[in-house]
Amino acid sequence: MATELPINGGSGIAQNGSPESSFTVKTGLARMLKGGVIMDVVNAEQAKIAEEAGACAVMALERVPADIRAQGGVARMSDPKMIKEIMAAVTIPVMAKARIGHFVECQILEAIGVDYIDESEVLTPADHAHHVEKHNFGVPFVCGCRNLGEALRRISEGAAMIRTKGEAGTGDVIEAVRHMRTVNAEIAKASAMSDAELRIFAKEIGAPFELLKETAKLGRLPVVNFAAGGVATPADAALMMQLGCDGVFVGSGIFKSGDAAKRAKAIVQAVTHYKDPKVLAAVSEDLGEAMVGLNVGLMDAKDKMQGRGW
Amino acid sequence: MASGGQKADVTVGVLALQGAFSEHVQLLRQAAQILDSKDAVKRHWAFLEVRTPAELASCDALIIPGGESTTMSLVAQRSQMLEPLRDFVKVLRKPTWGTCAGLILLAESANRTKQGGQELIGGLDVRVNRNHFGRQIESFQANLDLPFLKQADGKDFDTTQQPFRAIFIRAPIVEKLLPRVAGPQEGEAKVEGTVVAPSRPIDEQVAKSVKLGDVEVMGILPGRSAALKDDATKEKLDAEAGDIIAVRQANVFGTSFHPELTGDPRIHVWWLEQVRQWTEGAVHP
Repeated sequence: MATELPINGGSGIAQNGSPESSFTVKTGLARMLKGGVIMDVVNAEQAKIAEEAGACAVMALERVPADIRAQGGVARMSDPKMIKEIMAAVTIPVMAKARIGHFVECQILEAIGVDYIDESEVLTPADHAHHVEKHNFGVPFVCGCRNLGEALRRISEGAAMIRTKGEAGTGDVIEAVRHMRTVNAEIAKASAMSDAELRIFAKEIGAPFELLKETAKLGRLPVVNFAAGGVATPADAALMMQLGCDGVFVGSGIFKSGDAAKRAKAIVQAVTHYKDPKVLAAVSEDLGEAMVGLNVGLMDAKDKMQGRGW
Repeated sequence: MASGGQKADVTVGVLALQGAFSEHVQLLRQAAQILDSKDAVKRHWAFLEVRTPAELASCDALIIPGGESTTMSLVAQRSQMLEPLRDFVKVLRKPTWGTCAGLILLAESANRTKQGGQELIGGLDVRVNRNHFGRQIESFQANLDLPFLKQADGKDFDTTQQPFRAIFIRAPIVEKLLPRVAGPQEGEAKVEGTVVAPSRPIDEQVAKSVKLGDVEVMGILPGRSAALKDDATKEKLDAEAGDIIAVRQANVFGTSFHPELTGDPRIHVWWLEQVRQWTEGAVHP
């Protein structure tokens, strides 16, 4: 991790149940996930494979992004029964996806007791303009971003964790890299600005000024940031870690590959030892077929999921 | 990190396989500054992220941070770290502190692990109950009275009389203090749904200066379990008496909450002071 995330938890005697206190608990779980891999799973059996591989959490969803892409149609929150089966099968945290802006899906996921909600562009958006007001929920949220403005808008709505979007279900890491580099470059730019310049920049990127100022001062996003969308190999995962993310989501990359359990373990080792090319070489050996993948450069704009979200 | 490239007097590692290790390093740095400003003798502290057996071998003391204990345990195993960690904690008996997931790994017995169990390091004769309070929605903060901070050796902690704002994230608790036994906790191994750590005898040389006493309770969270919805868990506990959330046994200290998420370095200051005394060969608890 390029930059450490300063501790901002409450000290002294904050009131129980105050909004500040609740946000500390939400971001706290994200901090516990750092240096780990969160894996997409569609049933209890896959969840157990992920847990056994060393995933620090699983994302329960009905279809992995590669299948959503292939099958088309409207992609929605998963059946609560399936999510509950996954929650019963593993002891690590379980996340689940809701459609952008669909706050009732979020209420349902909170009622089931999932540990994190991903308000995700991988599902079909439910609102053309609004995201969910996330501060009102007790369960924490993770949201996607392609750039700094998008990240800070989500944090201001209450996201306790961010992931760069990449292009889900492709196995092509180029968009994950693009979004991570974009966020990094914009933060570097903001860090060199005066308050007056930051006000203009905040307007340009559609970010709240105070959050932008805090980010500029920290030199990194003020919450935990994972990479997502196109990670398919241990090398991809280590690449994202070296670019400065705090951990990695792997979606279709694992269960669309030849030997899911082996690849999953290898990606977990790669995220811990991301700075050690010898370990990366060892774990990259003999993993079998990677997911076939889609070349993002050859895709139509309308087929990309990353543009969803406002 | 050690300043000026000088050799460190004391090297403290933070296990960096997964989890909130960077937070501990930040607080250790703060704590070292506070100690330096108080003590006449300046020490060169080095704080190190530990991912390999070689890095562990260079440490005088270790923190195992919060994170996912299942992940850390599996990654430790696959990184050939599990046995070196057991040597560090149980054979060489070097000062080790575990928070949350770290406490789980340092327990001799744990329950509610994943199907098929998980590897433990051990070192503390306790049984921990994982995810005791439930899922993330049950995570919380609470003000704790920690007697050891108040009695901290006449040291003037600026805010000694303030409660410690503790953060519990899907936290475990110490469900049971176990008797000290020679060898593994065989009684525990028979309890349904628990896993136990393998026994490792203390090094003979080390045994001359380290006395392994019983587990000391260092902190209690009052009344929380009384509000639990899960009756099965409640029945097993004397809920009114409160939950044990901090323990120590010889070189091993464990907390079920996350001092590394609080901007409050008091526990890190206290622990570094213990480490200093331990490494300088003062009387061991």
